[in-house]
Amino acid sequence: MPTIRVTGLHVRHRKTVALDSLDVDFGPGVHGLLGPNGAGKTSLIRVLATVAEPAGGRVEILGEDTGDHRRLGDVRRRLGYLPQDFGYYPGFTVREFVAYVAWLKEMPAAATPSAVERAVARVGLADRIDAKVRTLSGGMVRRVGIAQAIVNAPQVLLFDEPTAGLDPEQRVEFRELLRELGTSATVIVSTHLVEDVAAACTEVTLVDEGRVAYRGTPQSLAALGETAVGVSGDNPIERGYTAALRAHRAHGSAAQAVRTLEGTAR
Amino acid sequence: MTTSGLLLYARSRTLPRTVAALAATAALAVWAAHGLDAYLDPSRRVPVVALAPLAASALIGASLYSASDELDRTAVRPWWRRRLVHLLALTALAAALLPWAVLGHTSSFGPPAMIRNTLGCVGLTAASAVLLGARLSWLPVFAYVSAVYVAAAGVDGGSVPAWAWLMQPAGERGAWLVALVAFAAGTVLYLLRGARAEGTRD
Repeated sequence: MPTIRVTGLHVRHRKTVALDSLDVDFGPGVHGLLGPNGAGKTSLIRVLATVAEPAGGRVEILGEDTGDHRRLGDVRRRLGYLPQDFGYYPGFTVREFVAYVAWLKEMPAAATPSAVERAVARVGLADRIDAKVRTLSGGMVRRVGIAQAIVNAPQVLLFDEPTAGLDPEQRVEFRELLRELGTSATVIVSTHLVEDVAAACTEVTLVDEGRVAYRGTPQSLAALGETAVGVSGDNPIERGYTAALRAHRAHGSAAQAVRTLEGTAR
Repeated sequence: MTTSGLLLYARSRTLPRTVAALAATAALAVWAAHGLDAYLDPSRRVPVVALAPLAASALIGASLYSASDELDRTAVRPWWRRRLVHLLALTALAAALLPWAVLGHTSSFGPPAMIRNTLGCVGLTAASAVLLGARLSWLPVFAYVSAVYVAAAGVDGGSVPAWAWLMQPAGERGAWLVALVAFAAGTVLYLLRGARAEGTRD
């Protein structure tokens, strides 16, 4: 049974349609959410994080309908979220900021200090736990963001561009953390970096123009790239990404695009 | 709510600094009012009675800003209770401190008028925070109070208490009604919606 089930999701930003009758579900594991700028990735992540309300459709997380406001607290307690731009309080130390989020998640007060230390250690910032967040580099701030997202040991984790600002070594470490988190939780990672998807994800969902353009494993997307003709990209998965996007735009539906791509691959 | 959680919340909204700034505003108002010959002419207190609540409401409005609004929205507990306590506590503090500047003459521009104007200005600021964001919440109220301050001088008429409520003597019922409605509407709007998120969104 999927942990997250999205049916007919419709999101608008004023007159722009961000998500258009989107159907998708996610189970345990690490899911890469790929797509061009403005495809609707952030809109989908924000709706799943329960910070944005959709114009239509239904979202079920861990068996709870997020449209039912009485159940929202239970969902949020088991959810971790790293927004693209999470903002932080300049006067807070790393420890205080992560503890603040633990408080928002209503973690038991007695368990909070050790949970905070554990989360901060997992992102490699144990030695900076009492440093002010404002004194940290961009990459370190991003890792503080990851720490706050995992402090409550969530069953559903939503990361929006988590590797932005991380150096190559930190990205490799983050991918390792993702794989580890994916063994016990449903992790959705929105990213522009296909290397992250190839290295850490068990499944990839390509979103384009508010719809699912492709779903499969990183290996199957790479296989499309191996056989695609006349598409650009530095590696098979990038070429697969471009081929899937082209097919979706040409045929207008994910199912048709996949059939076409499979035909091409054969 | 744990104590340490509440302390972190207070620091996240710079509440200690806001409280100190409110106290400083009240002290400034006392100093400004001291120089006025208000016993002979109570209406000379009007600048203090109008401007001190304006300054206090701007400080309260700024404290409604959240640097990590996106994460705050994932809180398990609905925000309205925290917002209510936050707004009421600071309003009560301002309403308790500012009247010290204008003690006496309760029927004209004394403590009741100061309290009325504090409530009205806070209500307008809270509504502005919902519509424009906390950091700009002072702007519409500042523009309104400035316009009223200039336009209401020497003007008389039936509608004056409604639009120039903060320039009216304490006994003017219409002015009280408008200020209380502004406070109630602004508070309810803020409780339900919170301050408008500031920042970029995809």
